[in-house]
Amino acid sequence: MLNLFITLFAITLFYFSISERFRTYSVLIAVQGILLFGLAFLELKQVNIANFIFIAAETLVFKTFVVPVLLYRIISRTGVYKVHTRAFPSFYILIFTMVGLLVSIILSNVLHAPNVDSVYLAIALFTLFTGVILIVTHKRIFSHMVGFLVIENAVFMFSLAVGSEMPILINVAILLDIFVSVLIIGVMINRVGEHYSDLESENLTRLKH
Amino acid sequence: MIQIGLILLAALFFPGIILRTKSIVSGRRGPGILQPLKDIGVLFRKGSVISQTTSWIFQAAPVIGLAAIMTSLLVIPFANFKALLPFEADFVFFAYLMAIGKFFMIIGALDTGSSFEGMGANREALFSMLVEPAFLILMGTFAMLTGYTSFSAIFSAFHMDGNPYAFIYGLISFYLLVQIAMIENSRMPVDDPKTHLELTMIHEVMILDYSGFDKALIHLATYVKFAVYGSLICSSLVPAGWNTALQAGLFFIIQMVFAIIIGLAESFRGRNKMFRNSQFILTLSAIALLAFVVVLILTQKLIN
Repeated sequence: MLNLFITLFAITLFYFSISERFRTYSVLIAVQGILLFGLAFLELKQVNIANFIFIAAETLVFKTFVVPVLLYRIISRTGVYKVHTRAFPSFYILIFTMVGLLVSIILSNVLHAPNVDSVYLAIALFTLFTGVILIVTHKRIFSHMVGFLVIENAVFMFSLAVGSEMPILINVAILLDIFVSVLIIGVMINRVGEHYSDLESENLTRLKH
Repeated sequence: MIQIGLILLAALFFPGIILRTKSIVSGRRGPGILQPLKDIGVLFRKGSVISQTTSWIFQAAPVIGLAAIMTSLLVIPFANFKALLPFEADFVFFAYLMAIGKFFMIIGALDTGSSFEGMGANREALFSMLVEPAFLILMGTFAMLTGYTSFSAIFSAFHMDGNPYAFIYGLISFYLLVQIAMIENSRMPVDDPKTHLELTMIHEVMILDYSGFDKALIHLATYVKFAVYGSLICSSLVPAGWNTALQAGLFFIIQMVFAIIIGLAESFRGRNKMFRNSQFILTLSAIALLAFVVVLILTQKLIN
């Protein structure tokens, strides 16, 4: 079951690279939330009830429901449905993603970390690379935000890679992640979105002048 | 020897089944299953018209194309019967044979000096180049899973008892091989064999100058290639240890289902925009790569 969830998670990452619609991004973020809950539920054995409720709330409520709904709201409000027409072609993004997967596998095998699960480490690195690729290759801020959320999921995967329990420090980091995500999405909806309806990153560059 | 006979027999009916599927789905009475064979018979009886601007390459290309595919039959196994000429890493030899056939067809098209044929050859070369990693990753994963590198050994070891991943990987390879066969044979969604506008043609425009006997050879090569891929699909799905008669029956059923899938795809699926094709084909390599990683995880080769 764990392998199935990990494989499905990797498939969502490939889907990110070939998808050109923001609504698909939102759906994929929701799917990743469900998969992360499944992975945490099956993997974490020495976890107390408070921690479990926290993780369930973080993955199922926040990542699967709240964030995708907010993303949908941004899409409806701005009326921007697709990635930029001048964006990097999906063909090359797909190549980068494939290279990212290979590099992740090689890295996880080379590192030989004794207390780290290589499968989780490989997929966490792959998730991190995909998030970075999304941010670097896309022009619209929406993609950058989704890239950030994907990187956040990578951090969650890293925490699963290190062991069968969730230390309090990781929980605090996740709390910070939630705070930053809500902050960024709030800024997107209320501030940037009102002024720049097309959500291009170039507009933000001009903002300082 | 039996596998060569079966593949050639399946190849004879393959295009007819595609044609019948398309006619039934579109509500037409359509031609009979043997109609493509009758068309080939007519073409064989005709002489070829050869442009004066072409060289021997143009005339040799269809023969070499067909010869390459017929040679590939030597490394294809069936049931418990090994291939006629099995050797280590023969799947790489198979991939190269396909590439040689395609290469000669491409330089044959360029030999005519026609800009349209050059354009078609260019596109077909790109698609073949992009689909090759998918096939090699797929077969590489088979090799890693079984520990063998020849088609015969891979498929006989693949369904052995104690291999719980055979069914899952068999399904993935079924999907990939169907798509690879459709791209290699220039069918939907990358190319439409029914199109009549040179600008949107790929394979059809590449063979535009061929007629009569040469054209019949090209069609025949396509049919055999379909049946070869169908045979690989059959080997990946059906355990080699089963009764031979049952396997022969399943072989024809799988070939028929494969042909029907192609007919349905061509009936219901739109053709990709030209610039989308490269991404579509590369996605197959990505799926093959994912399957490779899944096998790495399942066989615990990723864990130190």
